[in-house]
Amino acid sequence: MRGIFAALALCMAMPVALAQDAPPPLSPECEAPTADIASPAPLPHLAERLGQKAPAIRILAIGSSSTWGVGASSRKKTYPALLRGILDSALKGTKAEIINRGVSGEVAQTTAERLRTAVALDKPDLVLWQVGTNDALARVDSAGFEETLRSTISWLKASDIDVMLVGLQYAPKFVRDDSYLTIRETLKKVAVAENVLYVRRYDAMQFIARHQNGADLMSTDDLHLNDLGYECMAEHIARAVIANLFVRRRDLPKPAPPAPQP
Amino acid sequence: MRPPNELDFWRGLALATIFIDHVPGIIFENYTLRAVAISDAAEIFVFLAGWSMRLLVSSRSVRQMDGLHLVLRLEGRAFTIFAAQIVITEIALAMTAAGSLLLENPLILEWNNASAVFEDPVEAHLGLVMLSHQLGYFDILPLYVVLMAFAPIAVLVDRYFPLLLLPLSLALYAATLATGVNIPTWPVEGRWYFNPMAWQLNFVLGFALAAPHGLGGFVRRHRLAMRWVAAPLLLAGVTAAHYNWSPDPLSLPEPQLFLMFDKTYASPARVIETLALVALFGGLYPHIAGWFGRATAFFSMLGRNSLNVFCVGSLLSLLAQFVRFTLGGGFGIDAGVLFVAVGCMYVTAWLSEWRDRARP
Repeated sequence: MRGIFAALALCMAMPVALAQDAPPPLSPECEAPTADIASPAPLPHLAERLGQKAPAIRILAIGSSSTWGVGASSRKKTYPALLRGILDSALKGTKAEIINRGVSGEVAQTTAERLRTAVALDKPDLVLWQVGTNDALARVDSAGFEETLRSTISWLKASDIDVMLVGLQYAPKFVRDDSYLTIRETLKKVAVAENVLYVRRYDAMQFIARHQNGADLMSTDDLHLNDLGYECMAEHIARAVIANLFVRRRDLPKPAPPAPQP
Repeated sequence: MRPPNELDFWRGLALATIFIDHVPGIIFENYTLRAVAISDAAEIFVFLAGWSMRLLVSSRSVRQMDGLHLVLRLEGRAFTIFAAQIVITEIALAMTAAGSLLLENPLILEWNNASAVFEDPVEAHLGLVMLSHQLGYFDILPLYVVLMAFAPIAVLVDRYFPLLLLPLSLALYAATLATGVNIPTWPVEGRWYFNPMAWQLNFVLGFALAAPHGLGGFVRRHRLAMRWVAAPLLLAGVTAAHYNWSPDPLSLPEPQLFLMFDKTYASPARVIETLALVALFGGLYPHIAGWFGRATAFFSMLGRNSLNVFCVGSLLSLLAQFVRFTLGGGFGIDAGVLFVAVGCMYVTAWLSEWRDRARP
């Protein structure tokens, strides 16, 4: 797969323009409809940094266990580590530095407190906030969850830092869990209202689980991601970043990859 | 057993508050100090730990101790707290494992930063014993261990060079905030949630203000003036908390930690608010005891047995997370959780004292 990216990177005489037209390809196991991967929204500040040909961009990956990488076979197989490799290849000439600040099992409010200090000290260009699963499990009230998200996102926006929300994972166990559904809906609602990029992890994972029988993203317990799960997560996030770098309007049409037939 | 007193009462109240703050989502978290002010019960708890250290070293038996015995006594206390941390952490891990088995949900193994223990046991076990791996909400005692391990330095400086103690503490605090230095965690990359090099200031302030002489004496002689200064400061803190306002760290001049409301680094605004609370509420105890005699006796009993009650409270907060996961939240369940938990904390205190009384 690295070979594909290397080839892609070699072709990128005009990385910015190409990045817009051709986001990094997905591994066959990770294929999912574009609409299931992310709800689009612009990343204006990151785009500006890249437009200035910045030698490096800094991304703060904050969140809980999926950020820390529970279930990955090594630290090199966590989603932030994999994402760095993909973005390094896709953004030719710009290094992606990714800081992993995942703490497993943390609810949004605790993360939000850490986030402000982490942003002040690490000064990222983009914050990837993976959030929601633990709030659903801790039965956190959705109004409080929404308030935490909104105040943090408003602050990041006012500080000229782009933010991307990375949603809850799909697990068959939670299909009928009310709390899980409510938190997922709240996340979606906040992303739309605040016009921030939202990675629809649940939808993409559900699509893959239902349509690609050979590909299992989960460990045997059906709850944790395995290495392939993290690979797909990183690929989806990378695709969302690249595809949305120059999105200006929310409704900008994007080419959808061919969806495999069930 | 000593009768109910001011120190134990406030410490008991802080313990009950910390329990609530450690059950995410519980309705009552909207009514604890954390919800109405910019600081929280953890500051009070550490401040009072310093205060109680003063009472200990002013006692006749300790005053007559030479330096070596004093150091050994305090290090013994540090070790006791370390042992308590290891025991409750292990029980919390077992509860987490049991929760995931009984509720058939491996995601529970990730709660409160526990996953490294189950995923990466070789490194995580080293980290647990070295205190470099701390479960979420089980991170106050590690701070307490470090404070107690270094307490002999504070006590000896205070004994031989009393004027130097606060300047030294402030210098360490300022250097920590200026550089952002903190103890790293391992194997999970991160930093200690309670930075001991910053939080020592709360402890030393409690220790200094409890003294009848020096700064403590000065403050007592000017109590009314202190209250006049404290009232607007507290009002400012409460107003900021009410409007959910905090300084924007990115628009602050560096080093930002001095002006932020950061908990890990015990930013000055939080320390000042704690001092304002102490100035305003310190000394009110006789009135509170007059109005709510039973409640003060109740919370004093929790505070008298603070380490045991804290340990049981920590485990109960984890249990409460399972209860809320299984049954959902809501007023009825949350009220039941709080009632049972505080009741168990009381039983813990009662048993501790009963055991002490039963000793020959």
